[in-house]
Amino acid sequence: MMRHRTIAVALGCAWLATLGVAAAAADETCNSPYITKLIKGQEDYVYVWALGVEGVGDGSDKLVTIDVNPKSKTYGKVLGSVSVGTRGEAHHMGLTDDRRFIWAGGLSEAKIHVFDIGTDPAKPKLVQTITDMADKSGYLGPHTYYALPGRMLVQALSNTKDKGGVTGMALYSNKGEFIAAYPMPTDNGGDGYGYDLAVNAKKNVLLTSSFTGYNNYMRPLGDLIKDAEAMKKFGNTMVAWDLKAMKPKKVFAVPGAPLEIRWSPKAGDNWAITAAALTSKLWLVKEDKGEWQAKEVGTIGDPAKIPLPVDISITRDGKGLWVNTFMDGTTRYFDLSNPGAPKQTYAKVTGKQVNMVSQSWDGKRVYVTSSLLANWDKGGADNEQFLRGFAWDGKELKPAFEVDFIKEKLGRAHHMKLGARSLKSS
Amino acid sequence: MSRAGAAALALAWLAVAPALAHEPVIAPLGFEPPAPGTYTLHRIMAAPDGEVLGLDGRPQPLARFTHERITVLGLIYTTCIDPDGCPRTLPVFDAIRAGARASPTLRDRLRLVTLSFDPERDTPAAMRGYAGARAEAGPVPWHFLTTRSARALAPLLDGFGQDVRTTIVRAEGTRRREISHVLKVFLIDPAGFVREIYDSTFLHPRTVLNDVETLLLEP
Repeated sequence: MMRHRTIAVALGCAWLATLGVAAAAADETCNSPYITKLIKGQEDYVYVWALGVEGVGDGSDKLVTIDVNPKSKTYGKVLGSVSVGTRGEAHHMGLTDDRRFIWAGGLSEAKIHVFDIGTDPAKPKLVQTITDMADKSGYLGPHTYYALPGRMLVQALSNTKDKGGVTGMALYSNKGEFIAAYPMPTDNGGDGYGYDLAVNAKKNVLLTSSFTGYNNYMRPLGDLIKDAEAMKKFGNTMVAWDLKAMKPKKVFAVPGAPLEIRWSPKAGDNWAITAAALTSKLWLVKEDKGEWQAKEVGTIGDPAKIPLPVDISITRDGKGLWVNTFMDGTTRYFDLSNPGAPKQTYAKVTGKQVNMVSQSWDGKRVYVTSSLLANWDKGGADNEQFLRGFAWDGKELKPAFEVDFIKEKLGRAHHMKLGARSLKSS
Repeated sequence: MSRAGAAALALAWLAVAPALAHEPVIAPLGFEPPAPGTYTLHRIMAAPDGEVLGLDGRPQPLARFTHERITVLGLIYTTCIDPDGCPRTLPVFDAIRAGARASPTLRDRLRLVTLSFDPERDTPAAMRGYAGARAEAGPVPWHFLTTRSARALAPLLDGFGQDVRTTIVRAEGTRRREISHVLKVFLIDPAGFVREIYDSTFLHPRTVLNDVETLLLEP
């Protein structure tokens, strides 16, 4: 397979008038299949992993708990936050298989913070910080936290040696003990880059996608897009792994930084979808003639305007897909009845900049946050920082509540996970 | 798995088929698992130790059942009726044992352990009834264990990372305990380290026996 650096270069030129990439993973319909305590009724909390901003509150990254139960007296209000005391480009988080803990980390370091959400789901508590990832694996910037039975598979974005995009996955026990490292393939067409993880356990397949390294994602966007060499250094591949053996089996050419990966949650479906940020394309990964194949199946907005699809969320029946495009602040809905030909059926501007989109299990509630990366978020009045809740009736997204993360002195709102009182550990 | 292992397993399956009639059927595996010895099973954690009770009610250390042989240990409760939960372990363990008994290389190297996390109901007597003929002595022993109390059980659950939630449901004047959990079965090497944790999708005789063979192929 050939590399597709030229596409990133071309997009870099187009980017001069616009902004950047990156994104996040997972909501109630997009969790690891090993997380079995899904919240299938009304969720009580949205946990937001927020980037610290100098001069805003204590300036540190923090886990924010927001009441999202409409029957609660504190609906739409911040219940509390747990600061980690440092600023490390907070980005993503993941639930352990038993849903008692959230693992969260930042892209500028190799630390992983573990929060106990089982003892009191309304009051998460920081109980552990894992600091050995760099020493044990050489990886930097833990991004995706994917629950396996009794373990957490952590996809990093970079490495400590040259801070480029060649990276790998680190496997930890749920107790936070390092088990093994798995480098992303750099042969047979692999570019060595990483981003998201998604498992189809019944088919023994792990899919991975690819973004870029520390040197790019920590760099001010205005500088980055003027650097043609740096703009070549974005991922252009996905990889199908033998999950049981943790060995790469096939590298797919998926140009333009394929980010979030979603397997259809519908029983019997065996396909996954992803969005490539730089090319604004939807790709389908499906088994065909006994072999996994990746195929471009749709376009998101006008690729010439670089809308930057940064997060996707699939419905529980695999029939619909929410797509957030950062640049135009738009939340789009695609009909996935035919996953080979997705069709956009709805769009609404939900902010001046939007990043993550998460939905409840029943699809009736949709949550949107605003921050992409500290150095890539918009400036001035366009730099809104929020969690916005919407009600979805199948036709219209209706605003339900909003939390202003600057006014509340919380920082930049990034990744979300849902919580419930009923998940309190016995 | 190896050709010899596959043949042994196929024959063994035929032998245990009658026992499966009233139990969950083992669904075909949806993929071809990697061959034994072509992959690495890393040490995930040390298996915990603590006091357990055998079918005779005698207290013993769990470590006695997690060392010296390769151990496949399932955490269950006997009144579980979720077909994707505890009942699933019985036919799979039957097939594993039958496959191992048919293999000269596995017969004397493997044991099975079923450990209850419901000490209130799963007394040694209850476990004896649950085990039936499966607890009889022979190649590839199958031990059925419980604990004296929730307090004795707690460190074992914590050590294995097995989340168990007990809720009391009161309805129409009755009080019923309900237990929710995620099925986990552990592969433990002779030194007492957990090397694989199976959920319901990977808990299959072929995957488990392949993993057992992989451990045996380690230098």
